[in-house]
Amino acid sequence: MAAEMGRMPFFYNTEGRLVQVDYALQAVARGSTTLGIKTKDFALLASQVKPTRPLLEPAEKVYVIDEHLGATGSGYIGDVTTLVDEVRVAAQRHRLVYDLPIDVRTLSRHLSEHLHSYTMYAVRPFGASIIFAGADELGIQLLQVDPSGTTFKGAGFTIGQHADEALEVIRQGYRPDLTLDEAKALAVRAIEDVNGGKTEIEFGIVRADTRRFELSASAPAA
Amino acid sequence: MTTTVGIRSRDGVVLAADKRASKGFFVGSKVVQKLFKLDDSTAVAIAGQMSDAEYLVNLAKAERRLLALRRGYPLSVKESAKLIANIVYSGMKNYNPFFVELVVAGVDREGGHVYTSDMSGAITSEDFMSSGSGSPIAYGVLEQGFRPDLNLDETRKLADAAVRAAMERDPGSGNGVDILVVPNGHWNAEVN
Repeated sequence: MAAEMGRMPFFYNTEGRLVQVDYALQAVARGSTTLGIKTKDFALLASQVKPTRPLLEPAEKVYVIDEHLGATGSGYIGDVTTLVDEVRVAAQRHRLVYDLPIDVRTLSRHLSEHLHSYTMYAVRPFGASIIFAGADELGIQLLQVDPSGTTFKGAGFTIGQHADEALEVIRQGYRPDLTLDEAKALAVRAIEDVNGGKTEIEFGIVRADTRRFELSASAPAA
Repeated sequence: MTTTVGIRSRDGVVLAADKRASKGFFVGSKVVQKLFKLDDSTAVAIAGQMSDAEYLVNLAKAERRLLALRRGYPLSVKESAKLIANIVYSGMKNYNPFFVELVVAGVDREGGHVYTSDMSGAITSEDFMSSGSGSPIAYGVLEQGFRPDLNLDETRKLADAAVRAAMERDPGSGNGVDILVVPNGHWNAEVN
């Protein structure tokens, strides 16, 4: 039986698991620590910019998708950027068809269907999870989409290395009335606690009042 | 129908257009916007089929946003004009032409530019430009009044006079003038 599984790794195994998707999740778990925090007033994305070789400029980790919407991801960066471009195009197509900015749910649904289609056939699923933060008619939204196409909606998400420990830090520090500075400090603490101290972090913030997603690089004041 | 005008001055660019939409010999609308902003530094004046022109402008907006996000800085005026011309050209080659005549004008790090594209997708860079049924009349005013050293306010007045002259004698143009002034230095290198 095990030999059969070795030849057919892209179908269900005897336990009913899709091992390719499991491996994709493991690839995500090797990525840099990345998180999202939401209150009703704002959503914050933060990603550790991994210490790299000298003279190297750090890679972009938080992405503007459209004026009101941003994303970050963890896993294979090439997969992350490809998925980011996929949703950027989807956001502009929505504007062309409806003359309105795309809502976060529709956008995550698009990405979810895209990812899911790569779990149906003998192809490599994307080794990347994406966290969206955006503002739409329903308010501030935070969503996570996994390589399987599963979408989660919530107030706090962590992906990448030591994601579980980082989530525990956020869970302990989270309040629905966090200020933006407190949330930034909490994000820094979550990322730095699990990565052994000071590190460079890239942020993306969307506020309910401005409805604009903006990048802010490096460590915050807090 | 329509009269649109685009003029380049040393301090920026000016676009102007009338507000009439014709349905044959009938005035279909008296309040049509023929000037469209692509962003804070680039705009388009449209003449011809409104539906084609609006679609084209929206498509150009979407393509420009994508490109600016991907590369981190916005398109120059020439890139914007070429982008639109390429779309129009592929329309013509596929026997599905856009019935439009466009003036793409704006400022970038080099200053002001006025480009024009017809439905074949040919683009030229001009100091001043007019399109639409009223353009022969507007050109009379522009040829008389244009000087390269006009300041922005004089340029604005010239554009206004050109469209108003066309509105007096061209039945396809009328019902008021819209003017858009884009001063130099409006070019923002930061995306988002």
